[in-house]
Amino acid sequence: MRQPVLLGLAGALALAVLPLVANPYLLFVGNQLAIFVILAVGLNLLVGYCGQLAFSHAALSGIGAYGTALLKVHLGLPFFLALPCGALLATAVGLAISYPALRLSGLYLSLATLAFAQFTLWVFMNWEAVTFGAGGFRVPAPSYPLIGAGLGTYYLSLALAVLLALAAASLVRSRLGRAMIAVRDGEVAAEALGINLLRTKAMAFGLSAFYAGVAGGLQALMLGYMAPESFDLFHMALMKAMIVVGGLGSIAGSVIGAGAVLFLLEGLRAFKGAQEIAFGSLLIAAVVFAPRGLAGALNRLPRWRESYLRRPARDAAP
Amino acid sequence: MLSGLTTGSIYALVALGIVLVYKATGTINFAHGDQLMIAGFLAYTLHVMLGLPYLVAMLGAVIGSFLLGALAERIGFRAVLRSNLINVVLATLGLSFVLKGVARLTWGGISDYLSFPPLVSPDPIMIGDLILLPQQLVVTAGALVVMGLFALFFRLTTIGRAMQATADNPKAARLVGIRVEHIHMLAFAVGAAVAGAGATLMAPLTLLYPDIGFTLFIKGFAAAVLGGLTSLPGALVGGLAIGIVEALAAGYIHSSFLEVSAFIAIMLTLVLRPRGLMGGPPPRRA
Amino acid sequence: MTPRLAVEKVGLAFGGVAALSGVSLTVAPGEIRGIIGPNGAGKTTLLNAICGIVPPTTGRVRLDGKDVTGLSPSAIAARGLRRTFQTSALFPGLTVLENVVTGLHTATRAGLLDCAFGSRRLREEEREAAARARRVLEFVGMAGFAERPAGALSFGQQRLVEIARALVSDPAVVLLDEPAVGLSLNRLADIDRLLRRIRDERGVTLLLIEHVIRLVMEVSDSITVLSSGTVIAEGTPDAVRQDPAVITAYLGTAVHA
Repeated sequence: MRQPVLLGLAGALALAVLPLVANPYLLFVGNQLAIFVILAVGLNLLVGYCGQLAFSHAALSGIGAYGTALLKVHLGLPFFLALPCGALLATAVGLAISYPALRLSGLYLSLATLAFAQFTLWVFMNWEAVTFGAGGFRVPAPSYPLIGAGLGTYYLSLALAVLLALAAASLVRSRLGRAMIAVRDGEVAAEALGINLLRTKAMAFGLSAFYAGVAGGLQALMLGYMAPESFDLFHMALMKAMIVVGGLGSIAGSVIGAGAVLFLLEGLRAFKGAQEIAFGSLLIAAVVFAPRGLAGALNRLPRWRESYLRRPARDAAP
Repeated sequence: MLSGLTTGSIYALVALGIVLVYKATGTINFAHGDQLMIAGFLAYTLHVMLGLPYLVAMLGAVIGSFLLGALAERIGFRAVLRSNLINVVLATLGLSFVLKGVARLTWGGISDYLSFPPLVSPDPIMIGDLILLPQQLVVTAGALVVMGLFALFFRLTTIGRAMQATADNPKAARLVGIRVEHIHMLAFAVGAAVAGAGATLMAPLTLLYPDIGFTLFIKGFAAAVLGGLTSLPGALVGGLAIGIVEALAAGYIHSSFLEVSAFIAIMLTLVLRPRGLMGGPPPRRA
Repeated sequence: MTPRLAVEKVGLAFGGVAALSGVSLTVAPGEIRGIIGPNGAGKTTLLNAICGIVPPTTGRVRLDGKDVTGLSPSAIAARGLRRTFQTSALFPGLTVLENVVTGLHTATRAGLLDCAFGSRRLREEEREAAARARRVLEFVGMAGFAERPAGALSFGQQRLVEIARALVSDPAVVLLDEPAVGLSLNRLADIDRLLRRIRDERGVTLLLIEHVIRLVMEVSDSITVLSSGTVIAEGTPDAVRQDPAVITAYLGTAVHA
């Protein structure tokens, strides 16, 4: 077993027994961490691995969250159905915008997705008949067999975070992951090897939207309250900070970055201005001083590598 | 319609800065709107809190944002120039949040909206059926003057021509002895200074709050994209067009459509005609 | 016999300026075809037109008799055509081995769920792909570098890995854009030998652009000479060497130099 996976599982285990000793606040922070991990891993697939600088992640997680919560509120769909539906809705919207958006390259993609994100927020705020507008709305608490709502959502988030992080770690080491990296590192060369650019980018976009949607749905369950500002540009910048601080193109880095950002966010909870300064400076500092993030430093450790193919030759021999 | 022209001329000033930076450096300064917001607060401090005359306050705001723009180039751009586009965008995004935070801590809390005193009498003038607000006329005229000065600067001064040359062909510019780094910094600084003038002009019409920067950035951005992102006249046309479209959308559909029309304009332009109305072909990555 | 690769009256214009006009050539299976011509003759443009990066405005390109004109580069690649680039185009974020395995993208089938959950199918496919990649790295003499990051190699080593990446899927045709550029003269014999081995041992048809005339003349079965976007001569190396049109257009300067 490789070290990042072992450490990750150890961390997950620690989080799994946390409720035995923790107070509700710590439980909330642990739950938020699991959700941030899902968000960061999903965003890193698109930005870090596939090299597509999109600004729609927070908005797509909002679509997952609103989808989940509104299916419950308006149609009475139980959460175990509403959550996957919300996630799939986010995926569908993500794929739908990816086709026009991905024909654009570089900055133009950023712009188009930024406009889409602001448009989505506007819909949340102004389509009052459905979304209840800027004031937000209450989401009924989910019910779980045997355990209470808070604990249930906590374990659900934790399980999904572990599952989705492992799936991403496996994906990026496979042929599809290499195709994403190839598209990032050289579009023309990737195409000349038979990699379909649009399909690969759309896959990354759809996957990242799915992760965002799941995270959004969990957020709705955890908070029991939905409001548009949870999915604004500040949250987009938070997610960007997670993957840049942790390391673009590293699943372990996404997990670490999610933790680091959550720590700062909670530490400065009361001061919005200070939060903004802290995250802005963090983004700048990470980009200037450690473009490969914390994971870049970790990668220099022996036995810390994220690849199937980098295992010793005897594994790979026929 | 006319109020659309007024806001449109402000958007055009924002777009002008964005286009200038894009032409000179090939990137977008995501902190552009927040520099404008800071300039607005600076003008407020000088004019309202210290009681200096309006034009002096404007000069102060312009100089302040010029310096801030140079600083932005140093932090958000030059340090990360050697890495990729993603990092440049993220660094300027980081700067944008730092500025917003600074404004929030310095000039008040999240719900604090500062109001700037009107420049001229707020009473409307009637010409036949036409209702004119002198305030709007002053702002529109001011914006046009700033744009005119800017065009003169670009055409007539050595620095302006050097910037033009660098934008057209950085290698050749380097060969004839232009320091490209200086031009980059100057583009950020001049872009910010124009935004500073815009902020001071706009302040009497609206309220000042820390999040206004991003709102204006998006509008200026829509204008720049509509105009083609590489064309200075395009920025002007795009700004006026966005302003008018907003006014019409708010007037004929619903007031809430005022905010969203800019986003829709960006999306439609990028999908249907990425070159914009007056720009060259969009840059393609190799 | 159907030619492996047929270029039929291909023309390509950029904004009214013709970069290629009426270029035709046929390459038989197992042939090494050299393409030479002065700078700006349209050699790389021709390669781009064949592999679909810049589709030709007129004319057709056929691979084993099948029309591939207008297909996307990835679709043409999937039909058995690979190329290398003038400047190294390895993916710096991947290791040497991973770069070569990426050449097998169209030969592998694992889907999204296989990849996300590390299914048995994925693991078998990856094992097999890695083994194939190691064999071809061995073939070009880079086996010892498999685990290195691609960006850490010297320029010449990167060229070899790029050739390995182009070969790994056993393509029918490989287009090589100046494989010897940047190599020292004493490595030329190695490249010469490698190109012959690619033809003889792997049965790959090669289309080769090269500035090092000595190499092209020695290794090519036949040569096509381009000048200003048209074919001015074609034939065996000896015939081309003596063609007066070629001497005036191109070799003239080299002979005097």
